Amino acid sequence: MKYLTTSSLRLILYLILIAPFLLFVAYAFSTRWFFPHPFPIEWTVFTFQRVLDDTRTISSMAQGLWIALLVSVLSLILGFPAARVLGLRRFRGRHLVWMLFFLPTIIPPLAIGMGLNILFLQIGLAGTIPGVVLAHIIPTLPYTIFTLSSAFARFDENYEFQALALGASPIQTFFKVTLRLMAPSLVVAILFAFLISWSQYLLTLLIGGGQIITLPILLFSAASGGNPSTIATLSLLFIAPPVLVIVATARSLNRHGNEIREQY
Amino acid sequence: MKHIVFLIVVFTLLLTACSPNKPPVNQPSTTSAPGVTDSPTIGGEFDINDWDNVLASAKGQTVNWYIWGGSDGINSFVDTVYGQALKEHYGITLNRVPLADTVDAVNQVLSEKQAGKDPGAVDLIWINGENFFTLKQADLLYRDWAQKLPNSKYVNWENPAINLDFGNPVDNMESPWSSAQFQFIYDSARLNEDELPRSYADLKNWACTHPGRFTYIAPGPGGFLGTRFVKGALYELSGGAEQWQKFEPATWEKWSPELWNYLNELKPCLWREGETYPKDESELVNLFANNEVDFSMTNDITGAGRWIADGRVPETARAFVFDHYMIGDFNYVAIPYNAPNKAAALVLANLLLEPEFQAAQILPENGFGLGYAIDVNRVRDEAAQSVLKAAAAKLGDAATPASDLARSLVGDAAAEYQNLIEQDWLEFVLQD
Repeated sequence: MKYLTTSSLRLILYLILIAPFLLFVAYAFSTRWFFPHPFPIEWTVFTFQRVLDDTRTISSMAQGLWIALLVSVLSLILGFPAARVLGLRRFRGRHLVWMLFFLPTIIPPLAIGMGLNILFLQIGLAGTIPGVVLAHIIPTLPYTIFTLSSAFARFDENYEFQALALGASPIQTFFKVTLRLMAPSLVVAILFAFLISWSQYLLTLLIGGGQIITLPILLFSAASGGNPSTIATLSLLFIAPPVLVIVATARSLNRHGNEIREQY
Repeated sequence: MKHIVFLIVVFTLLLTACSPNKPPVNQPSTTSAPGVTDSPTIGGEFDINDWDNVLASAKGQTVNWYIWGGSDGINSFVDTVYGQALKEHYGITLNRVPLADTVDAVNQVLSEKQAGKDPGAVDLIWINGENFFTLKQADLLYRDWAQKLPNSKYVNWENPAINLDFGNPVDNMESPWSSAQFQFIYDSARLNEDELPRSYADLKNWACTHPGRFTYIAPGPGGFLGTRFVKGALYELSGGAEQWQKFEPATWEKWSPELWNYLNELKPCLWREGETYPKDESELVNLFANNEVDFSMTNDITGAGRWIADGRVPETARAFVFDHYMIGDFNYVAIPYNAPNKAAALVLANLLLEPEFQAAQILPENGFGLGYAIDVNRVRDEAAQSVLKAAAAKLGDAATPASDLARSLVGDAAAEYQNLIEQDWLEFVLQD
């Protein structure tokens, strides 16, 4: 009996999670689905095919993935040292530094984007991938720093000292001790940065100036027209990479988590 | 601590808000006399008075066309029809840049101007009304070109509906692409043709005998069809369209109370008793398709055709008009002053007016849906004439008959009324 309740609860939870996704599938693969029909009557792959046949769909996804990848690696490199100091050290003005790093999450992206666009236009970065990548780092960096610094707060530097005392070089220590211990948080930080960059609309639009087309640009312009099939199809394409990334990393995160627990 | 935080926030806001006010570098002369073209930027010099020279200079260029991207039909029409023709006949690559709102392209050009960037990114913008007004006022448009296109001879520039864009003189800075006229859409499976209201007075009676089955789009940004619906009511109540072509505060003072009176009488009979209104065409189409209301609105010459082709409304949807006061207008393409590929933009603007392509754009199956920009009577070539005739014959059942459209056609009101209507509607109708 108890088994039955838990498993039915589970089923309901899964349904709640998957229902929006099913709705997207229903809209993407049907046409003329109007009230009062509870389910689509005309199933078709027409919209899906048309969206995929549009060369711009695939190229926008590739461009978006490439940008998100660059952004997550760069914000990791930039955020790592800051997070380490913020997580491990206590110093005057530490809160001030925190505030500074967090400002981008408070200031509306429109204000940042408009000002930045003028600057980038002057120095020739507007409408280029490096320009868009730099602009994306503004909203991703706070999350990277936050994730990593809370991991560093639990980080025991004595592991590093021990490695050094045992004769490892600083580089060896960094790669074999520090990075290994930080691995799960690194994955989470990268994931955050990736997701934020992948779903950026406003900054890409402003800085890209129409020359950098990512999937959110196509999605927003389709949404302005309100065709549910097209919007659902693009949305499915939009959520596919994040879902795949999360599925892939969730397993490795679990594994790492277990390893760390075993170590302690 | 609190003070420091506050100071930092203020300081950063200032930093982001301040844009450097350096004098723009490389700014082209904006004092070009009539007949003299602005200094062409990269992509080769050309002489606009010598069309072969324009064609030669456009060859190999990519034209960046910034265009609202919300309709699948329009998107694929642009990519296939114009994209292929440009590639095959002129060696030009078409880069369609999809926008969620045309104002994004306007902002891009404004930012480029502020940063002194020339050449910029935008070659051609699909534009009319306020966006054209903004760019023209800021002197950010390429000048003196529209009537120099070879196909401009098909355009009736004498027509005030063409040479005025929402009352604002076009001044040779934009070239028409297509035309639109306000119409209603109904579902022939739900209503018979003889039940349809044929005037605003009729409509009020119909709505109040069928409470909750009618609504209109809220006038305002994105809801220009709603504004147009309200303007039509104003025309009917005041008994004429002509007096609204010029802005006259006294006329407005005289008739606007009657307009708000009419709309407020209509209000309790509307969908959700007029507490809320669909904000754009797409929302109204969804209400109509899902049988919540019985009428939708459109600007397409194909009537319900494009919506049927897009799978957005039932195949039994049809268009109709009132007997009078159905506002029509034209939409255009414009070239920014700093367009990097002006020659290619000119070639595309000219291609849009080609009779064969004008015929293609009105066919429902092509998914574009808007009407001619050219005056078909000016086309002398017999082959082209027959293509145009054949296209008009194929408009199909979902379109309003051409004679109905012509009989009810009136021009739009002066631009000043746009804001007045939108603001006062909020105050006197929505919040009342």
